[in-house]
Amino acid sequence: MIAALMVLLPLAVAVALALAPKPAVHRPLAMFGVVATLVLGLLAVDGGGRLEVPWIASLGTWIALDATGAGGVLARVAAAVLLPTVLWAGARVESRPHLFLAWLLATLAGLSGIFLARDLVLFYVFWELTLLPGLALLAGWGLTHRRAAMVKYLLYAVAGSFAMLIAVLAVGPLSGAAGYRFDQLLAAAPLLDPLTQTWIFAGFAFAFAVKLPIFPLHAWLVDVHEQNHASGAADVAGTLYKVGGFGLFAWAIPLLPAGATALAPLGLALGAFTAVYGALIATRHAHLKRILAYASLSHMGVVAVGLFSLHLAGKTGSMALLAAQMVTTGGLFLVSGMLHDRRGSFELDAFGGLARSAPALAAATLVVLFASIGVPGLANFPGEFLALLGAYQAAPAAAVLALLAVVAAGALGVNLYQRLFQGEGRERVRDVTPLEVAVFAPILALTLWLGVAPAANLTTFEREAAAAQTVTAEAAPVVAEIAAAVGVLAAGGVR
Amino acid sequence: MTGAWSDPVAWAALAPLFALAGALLVGLFGRRWPEPLPGVVASLAIAAAFVVAAVAAVGLLGRDAGVALTLWPFLPVAGLDVSVGVVVDPLAATFLLIITGVGLLIHVYSIDYMRDDDGNARYFALLNLFVASMLVLVLADSLVLLFVGWEGVGVCSYLLIGFWYRQRANADAGRKAFIVNRIGDAGFLLASFLVAATFGTLTIADANAQAGSFAFGAGVLTAIGLLFLLAAAGKSAQLPLHVWLPDAMAGPTPVSALIHAATMVTAGVYLVARLSPLYAQAPAASAAVAWVGALTALIAAVAALAQTDIKRILAYSTVSQLGFMFAAVGAGAYAAAVFHVFTHAFFKGLLFLAAGSVIHALHGEQDVRRMGGLGRRMRLTGSSALVGTLAIAGVPLLSGFFSKEAILGGVWNSTLVEDYGSRLLFALLLVTAGLTAFYMFRWYHRVFCGESRLARDVAAKVHESPGTMTAPLVVLAALAAVAGYLGLPAFAFPNWIKSWLAPSLASVGALHPPLWVEWLLVAASVVAAAAGLAAGWWIYERGRGALAERVGGGVMGRFARDGLGFDAAYRAGAVSTAEGLAAGLAVADRDLLDRGIAAGVTTASWLGRAVAAWQSGFVRLYALATLIGLTALAVVVAALGGRA
Repeated sequence: MIAALMVLLPLAVAVALALAPKPAVHRPLAMFGVVATLVLGLLAVDGGGRLEVPWIASLGTWIALDATGAGGVLARVAAAVLLPTVLWAGARVESRPHLFLAWLLATLAGLSGIFLARDLVLFYVFWELTLLPGLALLAGWGLTHRRAAMVKYLLYAVAGSFAMLIAVLAVGPLSGAAGYRFDQLLAAAPLLDPLTQTWIFAGFAFAFAVKLPIFPLHAWLVDVHEQNHASGAADVAGTLYKVGGFGLFAWAIPLLPAGATALAPLGLALGAFTAVYGALIATRHAHLKRILAYASLSHMGVVAVGLFSLHLAGKTGSMALLAAQMVTTGGLFLVSGMLHDRRGSFELDAFGGLARSAPALAAATLVVLFASIGVPGLANFPGEFLALLGAYQAAPAAAVLALLAVVAAGALGVNLYQRLFQGEGRERVRDVTPLEVAVFAPILALTLWLGVAPAANLTTFEREAAAAQTVTAEAAPVVAEIAAAVGVLAAGGVR
Repeated sequence: MTGAWSDPVAWAALAPLFALAGALLVGLFGRRWPEPLPGVVASLAIAAAFVVAAVAAVGLLGRDAGVALTLWPFLPVAGLDVSVGVVVDPLAATFLLIITGVGLLIHVYSIDYMRDDDGNARYFALLNLFVASMLVLVLADSLVLLFVGWEGVGVCSYLLIGFWYRQRANADAGRKAFIVNRIGDAGFLLASFLVAATFGTLTIADANAQAGSFAFGAGVLTAIGLLFLLAAAGKSAQLPLHVWLPDAMAGPTPVSALIHAATMVTAGVYLVARLSPLYAQAPAASAAVAWVGALTALIAAVAALAQTDIKRILAYSTVSQLGFMFAAVGAGAYAAAVFHVFTHAFFKGLLFLAAGSVIHALHGEQDVRRMGGLGRRMRLTGSSALVGTLAIAGVPLLSGFFSKEAILGGVWNSTLVEDYGSRLLFALLLVTAGLTAFYMFRWYHRVFCGESRLARDVAAKVHESPGTMTAPLVVLAALAAVAGYLGLPAFAFPNWIKSWLAPSLASVGALHPPLWVEWLLVAASVVAAAAGLAAGWWIYERGRGALAERVGGGVMGRFARDGLGFDAAYRAGAVSTAEGLAAGLAVADRDLLDRGIAAGVTTASWLGRAVAAWQSGFVRLYALATLIGLTALAVVVAALGGRA
């Protein structure tokens, strides 16, 4: 029941926000919605966190939610990151703030649904619906060129959704599963023949790759971030919605082990390439949000590498990295809003020397920035380390390539800090306001907590990662054959 | 190894917490405190850490095993069971004492050195944070936790090199240090992955134990050893990653003393020593360590000959001395290397603090060509610096003599790298020892002796530094003089430090030449030191530097002054390649992927126009589309499901 409330409560608050007449209640109401969802998430640790009722019996679909597993962890972190985001948006968004907040709450409801759903059809429904708030935030509050960004975003999303829809449609009937609940699918889908699995997996993987995103399906990401509202709050919602990695982890890989194995080499190659690609390109841009978008693309490459290693440590690490980058990338987008407040621009040339007049802002930013480039002791490191460690066990070459991204990300981090905060300041800016302190507090707390004591979350992730089926011995040669064919095809495509 | 908090040795685990607490206190609140409170609080935090370190060291005397303590789980995944845990053993305790002891002196020195700097609190917070990271590094029981400290010191070093960030050059130097270190760090991660794949563990003790069961010289051990060498070369400024350290002198001078001479840069030596059971099984990797060390020692010493900045001379000297330590750990003379870390911390810390005292007195002047004769005006600084100079030069009976002799002897007698040219290594190091004595004589003479070449306005204001700055100098001078007696030549005398460290280090068999050969080795290092000093005297005292000016002005002089062209080569090679690649990818990303895919789609540009008409109604369109899609899904599934 608690799991259902984690979806319904923010949704109800979103509706209430949209309808509530008095501006005075908007912000407290929105804060209540997020805090209550977070508290629910923290309470949903055992039986109360699970729910299973039939939905459409003839389809075999269920209202099945589970907040006690990997998805529960991600849902809690997402709610925790939305806490400062709602606080910040409530203060910084001037036009129709209650609707902006309503869409943020709707995002939270949708994310809870995606992360907690244990029925594939339900998952797909939430997956699709959560696109709406993101589009609405871009459409209603975006910058001048938002329309082009929206079209691009929508085209990619629709293409992905279409592929996933077919995959969802195929996996149930073809496997003869009793229903769409995860455990029902898990009992049947892994037994599908390897070639069918590969096709279905490809459908899922395409949708998830768009949403991760990884190269070459990432072009929408940068424009969306660039055109979002200058507060950065909508970018946080977008960052939290990068759920492709979770889809692979929770659905595609466990249900279709042979398909995953056949396509893993391709995934490893693309993931490792994305990691380096994003980090290198980020160094060439001078627009803060574009830089953050490419840097987060690089993280997603590492997530993909960890997942496609199909190794326990790799998959576990990828989920930890996904949770961590919600906090750090999200935090950096909020920082971008704070910086925009001070200079009215995202161009790096508008900055420099800010550390002198805003030392606390510089220090807090530095912590989040260094966390995001994987400095150990902070949030991203445990996930990044395990993802790459797993990748090394599966494909050393992919791990080595992805490690170049670690070097490049380091260069990117210190270059960015220098351009923003070091050098001779042109004019004074104000240091952090009390509101900004309140925004930073949960971000910094999470950054430290995920970095210093990641064990509990990792154990949860690992438990779920270990449940995935492996390829049976008799299927293995066929899988290898398919993998080789995919390799030839991919190589041909490159040429 | 067992451990519990009831054992005073385990209290050493508190040392990093003291330093961290100091960093947090000073960092969060120090800006509002009056001077010198931030410095005093920071110093007290390090003093507390020093006390628990000393308690641990005393507690370890007479034991033959360390104390292990597990604090909380960290990465309990895939059977790796990495915890936040510490091991306090003689090797760790030695480093703890160096870090907190020298660290305390340098904190105290900094109180006056950094007086009236508007970043005073930030400085002390970072210095404390550095000490905390360094303590984590040496206490860690696993490679993962070691890496936490390893990158932590890198981050602090970056921030302290660029401490005066308003000048572009300083921030650039910090950035360079960070990026070069990251290259080494990638090697560390890769090595860790290989360790996990090979041994199924990331705990250092377990990995070391398992390495012993591999065949001597097994390929995988060599690979691990070489990858850790890459990591160590980054942190300890060894070829080919040494280029960041000379630039690191952009930071405040006490930072150069603590981080870029006494402690952080020795982390690479610590790493190899900590993994000595593994390296002892991997002769090829050990030889690579030794050769990197010896070549670095020689090249950096040559570069040091031609520098004109009072701190850059010392920086190249540090690179060179670290090369000696690498040669020793490579050759299997682990205790000798740690011994040199120990003595070097005193005399090099001392030399840097003396340089700081001079720079302080001259209000920022750092060019030795505009110094001279300062020994008469700054007696304490001058005489302390003389002790440091003689110690590093290897003058008999001072600390550097004993530790350098131990390295030279260790390399000559090495069995581990006997087949990899140990005698040639010895020869390189001996020549370098002579060069060391020469360039250090030059350093001392140009600064403290001869006639004053100061600018007139500077000369009038020269003064000896205050007591908080000279007291650490005197303490370090005393230690630099006597610390060597802990490690007298082992072939003839009791060598305390070797037996103290024995429980922590692999024991590698050494050749035992006749006694007269051992004495000849001692004589050789005495001769090298004497020759270097004599040449220095002949050129700079007697010849007044005329010859040096002629040579230094030529092509070779410029080449050496530019650090033998490494920076230029990297700029031309790696840096421009990476930048070109990034630029190329960025163009491809924009023109091919983005526009290319978009162009394919703009045939459907009616969609864009339709959207234009709708604006936010567009969202409604999508909602509708979703609804239709879902309905279709339900219908199709029902149909298919019905049949199935």
